[in-house]
Amino acid sequence: MRRVIVAVSIAASVALLAYTTTVAGALGYLGLETRTLARMFLALTYNPDLRELTAMSPEAVTAIVWDFRGVDTLYETVVFYMAIIAALAIYRGVSRVSGGGGVGLSLIVRVVTKLLIPMNIAIAVSIAVHGHLTPGGGFQAGATLAVISVLLAVVYSVNSFSRVGVDISKAVALRSAGLIAIAIVVFTPLIYSALTGAQAYLMQSYVKVDSGFYFPVDVFGQLISGTLIWLNTAEFLAVSFGFFIVFMLLSLREEIVKQSLLGEGRGS
Amino acid sequence: MDVTLLLLALFSTVGLVFTYLAVTERDLVRAIIYSAVQSSAYAVLLYLLRAPDIVLVYIPVSVGLYPAALLFLVGKTEKVDGE
Amino acid sequence: MALNTLERFLLTLTLYNLLATAAISIYGIVVRPSLTKKIISLTILGDALNVLAIFIGFRVFSIPPVLIPGVELELFVGLAVDPLPQALVLTAIVIGLAVTLFLVFLALQIYRLYGTLDTRRIRELRG
Repeated sequence: MRRVIVAVSIAASVALLAYTTTVAGALGYLGLETRTLARMFLALTYNPDLRELTAMSPEAVTAIVWDFRGVDTLYETVVFYMAIIAALAIYRGVSRVSGGGGVGLSLIVRVVTKLLIPMNIAIAVSIAVHGHLTPGGGFQAGATLAVISVLLAVVYSVNSFSRVGVDISKAVALRSAGLIAIAIVVFTPLIYSALTGAQAYLMQSYVKVDSGFYFPVDVFGQLISGTLIWLNTAEFLAVSFGFFIVFMLLSLREEIVKQSLLGEGRGS
Repeated sequence: MDVTLLLLALFSTVGLVFTYLAVTERDLVRAIIYSAVQSSAYAVLLYLLRAPDIVLVYIPVSVGLYPAALLFLVGKTEKVDGE
Repeated sequence: MALNTLERFLLTLTLYNLLATAAISIYGIVVRPSLTKKIISLTILGDALNVLAIFIGFRVFSIPPVLIPGVELELFVGLAVDPLPQALVLTAIVIGLAVTLFLVFLALQIYRLYGTLDTRRIRELRG
């Protein structure tokens, strides 16, 4: 009870500090205008009149993440990939994700989870594939699908992973497939440039000033925005199976892990 | 006056109160629950700040995956912070 | 379209709340002895700073940066919020998540090798 009073009094003193700052007028323009760089990005995100500068996607944030600043996202994918490699390296002696006598939770919880899992998969795929039209994209969908791995580990016990057919080597293979798909889409303009001698740039999605190469932008009137849809889908695969690996390793029982890791290390 | 600004101030205050409760709590499971409530308040705050892409990342990651991973950690190690 | 005093007070209050949350979580990282509490405080610090970055790009009376068919471009540029901080915060959330998951695995390994997660006792054991 005393801590709640302390917390509320901290909030009240912060409010008093904000009141005195406002009366003295230290912050002038907060929240009224926007910067020139932002106006440029907003004006260029879907602009069929300026074909050399636009990204042909009405969703400004996905266009910035995969087209205008695409190499940043490439490095972010590499950082995430290395964190998963570190987790796999710590658990390098473990090969099977099962064992022990896990039971899981009661029947009601299991039936409700059985209803929720297909809904989750449908929503995640929809978020990934519509990433260039509505808010969404690869990473959002990957995190949504990762919740399924937590549900399987908690509600159905760790043995359920091998019953469903997902084990560590398959999850690593699917994650690598996603990363290879990203690499193929990123390097396709360079391969095209080497084969035909025209000019093309790494991660190029649409025509540029001195390059005529472009990925198809719409299919029978439906907008697919060049590389954005392929990159979103590949990132969805890579991220969701990366999370599967992490939660499969985290939910292993401690006795099995200690047999595999420390038993070998101490020579017993 | 815009209702958005009032709700912004309200939810950021809720986040501040639950942050203080999470940091000074000794029982680690309760601290994780307090931090999950703070993350929910921040998810509403991000929606009010007109960032729907970030809300779609923030809710599964901060309200679902962080408490799950931290609860696995607490279940395998110590459950109390400090002496 | 200037803001009156009450609206400026609410915006400043939100800014100060975010800064105070960051300060309390830094206290949590430095002072509390358990490794799990340090990881919880690190996630709260990351969240507060990411929301602060998006708050800098905010604009009162605005729409999200999604171009709906039927809205013309001039009106959209004049009304939408800044999309660049949102893209950078997306990257920041992913990197924070990768670092936190790695820290959880490291904390598990420390518990297996030292038997405790209290940093004061780990410091005594190493010597």
